[in-house]
Amino acid sequence: MTITRTATAPPDGAARAKISDVDFNKFREFFYRKTGIQFDDNKRYFVDKRLQDRVEATGSGSFREYFASLRFEANGREMQQLVNAMTVNETYFFRESYQFDCMVNSMLDEIVKTRVPGSRVRIWSIPSSTGEEPYSIAIYLLERWKQINAYEVEIMSSDIDTDVLASAQRGLYSPRSVANLPKPYLQKYFRETAKGEWQICDDLIDAVTFSRVNLTDAADTRRFRNVDIVFCRNLLIYFDDTSRRVAAEAMYEAMSPGGFICLGHSESMSRISSLFTVRRFSDAMVYQKPRGGV
Amino acid sequence: MGLKRAEAPGTGAVADLPAPGEADQAIDWVEALQSGDTALRRTAAATLAGRAAACPLLCAQLETETDPSVRTALFNSVVMIGGPDAAEGLMPLLRSEDPQLRNAAIEAMAEMPDAVAPCIERLLDDEDPDVRIFTVNILGMLRHPRVQDWLMQVLAHDPDVNTVATAIDALAEAGDSDALPALAIAAQRFAGNPFIEFAASVARERIEAP
Amino acid sequence: MGATKKLLVVDDAATVRLYHRKVLRDAGWTVDEAVNGLEALEKALAADGEEPYDLYVVDVNMPKMDGYTFIRELRSQASEAAQAPVMMVSTESRSHDASRAFAAGSNCYLVKPAGPSALVLTAALLLGDAQAANKAARGMNA
Repeated sequence: MTITRTATAPPDGAARAKISDVDFNKFREFFYRKTGIQFDDNKRYFVDKRLQDRVEATGSGSFREYFASLRFEANGREMQQLVNAMTVNETYFFRESYQFDCMVNSMLDEIVKTRVPGSRVRIWSIPSSTGEEPYSIAIYLLERWKQINAYEVEIMSSDIDTDVLASAQRGLYSPRSVANLPKPYLQKYFRETAKGEWQICDDLIDAVTFSRVNLTDAADTRRFRNVDIVFCRNLLIYFDDTSRRVAAEAMYEAMSPGGFICLGHSESMSRISSLFTVRRFSDAMVYQKPRGGV
Repeated sequence: MGLKRAEAPGTGAVADLPAPGEADQAIDWVEALQSGDTALRRTAAATLAGRAAACPLLCAQLETETDPSVRTALFNSVVMIGGPDAAEGLMPLLRSEDPQLRNAAIEAMAEMPDAVAPCIERLLDDEDPDVRIFTVNILGMLRHPRVQDWLMQVLAHDPDVNTVATAIDALAEAGDSDALPALAIAAQRFAGNPFIEFAASVARERIEAP
Repeated sequence: MGATKKLLVVDDAATVRLYHRKVLRDAGWTVDEAVNGLEALEKALAADGEEPYDLYVVDVNMPKMDGYTFIRELRSQASEAAQAPVMMVSTESRSHDASRAFAAGSNCYLVKPAGPSALVLTAALLLGDAQAANKAARGMNA
């Protein structure tokens, strides 16, 4: 899901909101508390510009007014816009691939240690967005997991947006989207179209089960059980505090004991839930549902 | 072996539990709350969110429940039920010796502004400064129009330096210029204390910023 | 001489973190922060192997993971960073607080609010930084 940000230009002649040093400190303290993301002094220009955009977009008279309304809003909507503005959210194949490395080098081996060969391993990728993530997982499993032939791996992928789900199901990608793929994989799993796009092969499309899911709706999430690995990257950071917690708890419920969950690189359970333990592997730091948990 | 298409999301080894709301009559959820089966206890805790009369039971269970996921479900349900029963039921947990339980209670109470508001004055008057500190922690997260007034009360009157420090911290982010006089009083009452002086100056700077 | 010592301050209150960071940085050390025990554990694990922390300054009452739990989790890790000294800084009125801190694996327990000299002196002693310790000691009765 590519999010396009429209730059808001100030009305002719109007000065942009002033962001003082104290304002900046106050803002980054608040943003750090809520998201765990820290802005160094050298990010000043980056932050100021986006803050000014938001001040204008919300029709606030000043940074102070904007901050007050941000802090006291009940529905988290402006916070969502703000986080969106402060983070880069672009999807492509093999994005944050160190987590996929961790999957094939560490997580899966630990999961199957106590499993009989031939048994099922379940992986859930949410949000699916336009499919780059679940298909990346599929390619990684086929190409880089040494034990892939000893187990049956199910890949489920979900999103709240039926349009992106349809797009994922189609499996047609831009050159930009596949730019991070090693050439041999591109050749092997994709076919270049006349328009210079890349169509993923039917085998991979068939390997993934897509579904529409609202992570904060128990009726949707209840259907998922015994999931061994969850990839929930760069989604929760856009949720308000309550929804984040509800979503994390729903995923906990859906997971097998000892199952793993990966968040985006700038996300942390420390702002969300205490149910998971943190595990550091050589490739990545991930979270785990306690083995004694049910 | 290899990649296998899932038949439908989540099939396979599903626990034989009716989902919350379905076949409700088949299980005594109150009894299930005491079950040795953790998953069943968790489902019971979640299901009882729909039964306000169960609030005291849910709160009582929190005192003895050891599984974190069941605890979470219990808190969620109590918050969902809300009202005076929920606030009164959670208050004793502020005195718990278990810091995880205490902090979870603080977070839960912060989600129930209307239920908790009638209790605040009483809590801010508690003999135990730790209880007063935890109450200020709740205020720091509470969405209620009187939060600043209560914090100002602490700044002006509370005898304990850490309670006052916690209130200063809360105001540094959320306070407006109405709080400045009370802030000055607090700084004066604890003049000479390096931390209070520091915290008050940070708060003043952040509140005053034009 | 050795590289600059690296500290992690763990407290949910922003002003406390600011204060501790200022005081400890003025003493010449590098100071990172975490808002609760879970973030602290993540940072400790992330730093391990490359630039592990030399000292943790830890509060008790924090959301998601309290200080005692953090120290216990830290000590249960099989790594160098996990054995670094821990200074617990907290309010006092509960009984057994200090003994719980030691039982969890803390090396020291200071009562809030900690004066700057006491904070630096204690940290310096735990870090084995004699110069900083002597300087702070001279400031103790000021």
